Amino acid sequence: MSIHTIGVIIKDWLIGLLAGWGVPVELSRLLIEVLTWAVGAALCIIAIMLAALVFIYLERKVSGYIQSRLGPTRCGPVGILQSFVDVIKLLLKEDIVPAEADRVLHTIGPILFLAVSALAYVVVPWDEGGTVAGKVDAGVGVLFMAAVGSMGLIGIVVGGWGSNNKWSLLGAIRGAAQMVSYEIPMLLALMCVVLQAETLSLAGIVEDQKGSIIAWNFLRPWMWLPVVLFLISGVAEINRTPFDIPEAESELVSGFHTEYTGMKFALFFLAEYGNLLLVALIFSVLFLGGWLSPFGYPDPLRLPGIIWLLAKSLLIVLIVMWVRWTLPRLRVDQLMGLAWKLMIPAGFVALGVMCAVIMLGWA
Amino acid sequence: MLNNFCFWFAALVALGASVLAVSRRNAVHGLLWLVLSLLAVAVLFFMLGAPFAAALEVIVYAGAIMVLFLFAVMMLHLGPAAQRQEAQWLAPGVWIAPGLLALGLAADLIAIARLAGDAPAGAGIIPPEAVGAALFGPYVIGVELASVLLLAGVVAAYHLGQRRDRSLGEGAGSG
Amino acid sequence: MPDQEGILAQLKQRFGPDGIVRQLTADGILTVWVPPEQVRAVLSSLRDDVSPPFRMLYDLTAVDERQRQVRPDQPPGDFTVVYRLLSLEGNADCRVKVALTGETPAIGTVTDLWPNAAWYECELWDMFGIRVEGHPHLRRLLMPPWWEGHPLRKEHPARATEMAPFRLPEERMALLQETLEFRPEDWGWPPPGPDQDDLYLNLGPHHPGTHGVLRVICRVCGETIRDAICDIGFHHRGAEKMGERQSWHTYIPYTDRVDYLGGAMNNLPYVLAVEHLAGIEVPERAQVIRILLAELFRIISHLVFMGTFAQDVGMMSPVFYMFTDRERALDIVENITGARMHPSWFRIGGVAQDLPKGWEQLLGDFIELLERRLNEYEQAVLRNRIFRARTVGVGALDVGTAIAWGATGPMLRSTGLAWDLRRQRPYGGYDQFEFDIPIGKQGDCYDRAVVHMEEMRQSLRILRQCLQNMPAGPYKSDHPLATPPRRAQTLRDIETLIHHFLSVSWGPVIPPGEAEGRVEGTKGLYSYYLVSDGGTMSYRTRIRAASFPHVQMLPMLCRGLMVADLIAILASLDFVLADVDR
Repeated sequence: MSIHTIGVIIKDWLIGLLAGWGVPVELSRLLIEVLTWAVGAALCIIAIMLAALVFIYLERKVSGYIQSRLGPTRCGPVGILQSFVDVIKLLLKEDIVPAEADRVLHTIGPILFLAVSALAYVVVPWDEGGTVAGKVDAGVGVLFMAAVGSMGLIGIVVGGWGSNNKWSLLGAIRGAAQMVSYEIPMLLALMCVVLQAETLSLAGIVEDQKGSIIAWNFLRPWMWLPVVLFLISGVAEINRTPFDIPEAESELVSGFHTEYTGMKFALFFLAEYGNLLLVALIFSVLFLGGWLSPFGYPDPLRLPGIIWLLAKSLLIVLIVMWVRWTLPRLRVDQLMGLAWKLMIPAGFVALGVMCAVIMLGWA
Repeated sequence: MLNNFCFWFAALVALGASVLAVSRRNAVHGLLWLVLSLLAVAVLFFMLGAPFAAALEVIVYAGAIMVLFLFAVMMLHLGPAAQRQEAQWLAPGVWIAPGLLALGLAADLIAIARLAGDAPAGAGIIPPEAVGAALFGPYVIGVELASVLLLAGVVAAYHLGQRRDRSLGEGAGSG
Repeated sequence: MPDQEGILAQLKQRFGPDGIVRQLTADGILTVWVPPEQVRAVLSSLRDDVSPPFRMLYDLTAVDERQRQVRPDQPPGDFTVVYRLLSLEGNADCRVKVALTGETPAIGTVTDLWPNAAWYECELWDMFGIRVEGHPHLRRLLMPPWWEGHPLRKEHPARATEMAPFRLPEERMALLQETLEFRPEDWGWPPPGPDQDDLYLNLGPHHPGTHGVLRVICRVCGETIRDAICDIGFHHRGAEKMGERQSWHTYIPYTDRVDYLGGAMNNLPYVLAVEHLAGIEVPERAQVIRILLAELFRIISHLVFMGTFAQDVGMMSPVFYMFTDRERALDIVENITGARMHPSWFRIGGVAQDLPKGWEQLLGDFIELLERRLNEYEQAVLRNRIFRARTVGVGALDVGTAIAWGATGPMLRSTGLAWDLRRQRPYGGYDQFEFDIPIGKQGDCYDRAVVHMEEMRQSLRILRQCLQNMPAGPYKSDHPLATPPRRAQTLRDIETLIHHFLSVSWGPVIPPGEAEGRVEGTKGLYSYYLVSDGGTMSYRTRIRAASFPHVQMLPMLCRGLMVADLIAILASLDFVLADVDR
């Protein structure tokens, strides 16, 4: 039973319930629509929260493993409660706004960043027919995601400028330059997948890969370049090492969130982990067959698609963490050079190859 | 019903945000209102059945162009002096005449819209394929012209962006 | 050995036999007194005309002579300014002294001869109140700008009990903090304003990339640094002043804390200087134990360098591995000395105790382990492509500039000059050891890292030789001034017992004179210049720290580069703020 059918069942049950109370069917449909949206939005936020809770713990353990130490061990068995303790700590912290800061922008920054991160979850196809808002994906899921992704930057820029701190400002500027630049190779890689699947819908892209693991995009030779491009620019979009220059600790103190404490800082933090999961999800959808089982369609193991999707995403997240704790950070000009001189041309090459493949009829 | 409600809500947001974008003295605040206005317009596009245009509106305007604007504004030294100047520009003598003209245009627009009759919002959804077909079919000359223009722009930007080596580190101070 | 007589003859030939007065010192360094009006000419001819030329201003300091009792054959004067020159190509030393009279004397600047004189001359003003005429920016360097008095003058109190009780009301604190505000006008930088495109970036004193309390004010255009100013002194603890109030023996623990990563390495130049003064010969076993400890601390310090360097360019993991290895090295130090970072274990005339049983096993295991681990670090850090992209060609330095700015140690060797004091002027038994001098090619951040890595390997080689050839014998000299004196004889006759009692309770009385002890430290050349007036305490203790001139080079190295490069350069300079500020 997919998520979609569960939704339909709940919907019908609610309509029946309301009709029993004498509410007109038309009105109750409207109410339920609004309710669905609200639940969907809440689900997105909850997804981010859960992702952050799990990933903070995971990151601590992974970094501990890589650095030959143990990571958290004190809070609960093998430190499993560490994330919760972190959350409580952040909740209890004093919220400090610098005296000369722009109070409004300082507050809006993290909210915007988190909101945008949550918005992108709307189009993720969790299971067969199971986006949070099926309608948005109507034909432009990929575009929606790209559009929303480009907005995340505004949160960083506003927060960094609103803090009235030179380090924050430098971090915001670096962030803006970096995210605008890396969006281009990311979109070019996306376009290759879109051409392959002949649809802009993320759900459609998964449909296109139906079959066992050999039908997935990452096993098609002309997809190898887009895979690399997407992974690199995805890591750059979420500001993680080796692309963490907007918050480079040893250079910019903490970059755009230098002046944030308590919950506002937590919002940035949440959104960063939310973005991490998002990139992993999208990568899985684009190249790893999304919710499809590697053993063929329909899944011989009968596992819900969401499990497969999350498992694939987790793999990507672990790779990204591994990279973070291993590599040094690029300098800002090297970073921009990589995007403009290497990745964007490579993106065009990938696109050209894809077009050739389609014209030759190999796809 | 829901669609109509969404439409009116988005339209109101777009209008209000545009007014605020013009009237804010702090340039960064003004820009953020402008971003909101663009987002509301994107919602309008979406309601009208043009998801492709809506997404492009967000990617291009709200996402890229406005960020560059913000970027540029933040680099300027905007302090109390700049705000005072903005306040001067917002004196009634300055905005009344253009405001009236704009009102006239708005009235025109509404009248024309009424004459044309009701076109229901979201009557048909235009898929991206249709947009593409239209762009590379009947409008191909326009697209080509626009791309030539863009290319010229890129070349010009490259030329302007090249700067002669400025000597760095000429400052005094022996450490 | 360098031909001192030849250099002296050349000077006398140029400036006449009356202008140049030679003083004999316990360390055997050529020391000449010149009249104040001639000092500039003498220094400039020493730099350019004399053979061999003295291209490096190794140290510049002063002595307040007003309470001095024993000064035979020295021109009268209230203050003595000491220029300490070094000739790398001729492997020669020279000390030029100038006697100044009056309460606030003045002397001409030599910043045009040696750029690194700028900070040393600021220190002259700051610490002694000696005005330096013609200095481009004379200011308080180590003390805060509001400080009253000049700490190294004899009338300045050395202890809190000699001063009024310390009070810091709110208003005064606010006032003092205001003095720290950066005023660009003072440095000829345009004031911030609408027409001013450059951003003034205050980096530190508490910034995660500065390795301590260093403040760098950068003038950046975008992210490109157009100019920078270093503000130091936040870590100043008056280590030199304390030398005048501690007995010769009880000062040893203070030396550990000067370069706090170097531990026992700092003891060595100090005890060498005192031994020069007292004329103590150190037994062989003590020498080798000292070398063992010193090289162990070189490895300890270099491991910190490599780890933090990697971290500063964004590699978060190597530092954990290197600190783990450092802990292992510190375990050995603990087993030998009982302390870890600051063992204070060297003594005048030897070391505190003999090596414990089983040290061979510990050290042998460690050498074997670290040799393997160093190969891993080379693979993980030095061969990483991003690491190379961040460091190759960044902050490059050529040999001439390095010498002119007083760079020593790995900093100097990375420029391609194989000059190691352990080889050039073997001290404390280094002539018995086999080791190579690693050098770099272009003196950039990457070369500095490579030299450090290679030096660890060479130190391991030396440690292995210590392990295989540890001589037998006493661990401390039988000399009566060796402190604390050996006890075996004290139980036999009353005379030795009395001397032992005095030497332990008052400390040894070191004969008058002056001497310098130098070592190739972890970060460059460390030296202690001691003046004894025949008492139980030093009359003047001068610490020449390697980090001081290195940090002074920072603005020159980072001009025209980016903020991220500044952090890489800072990390590659391998400085310790306690060493800079003392």
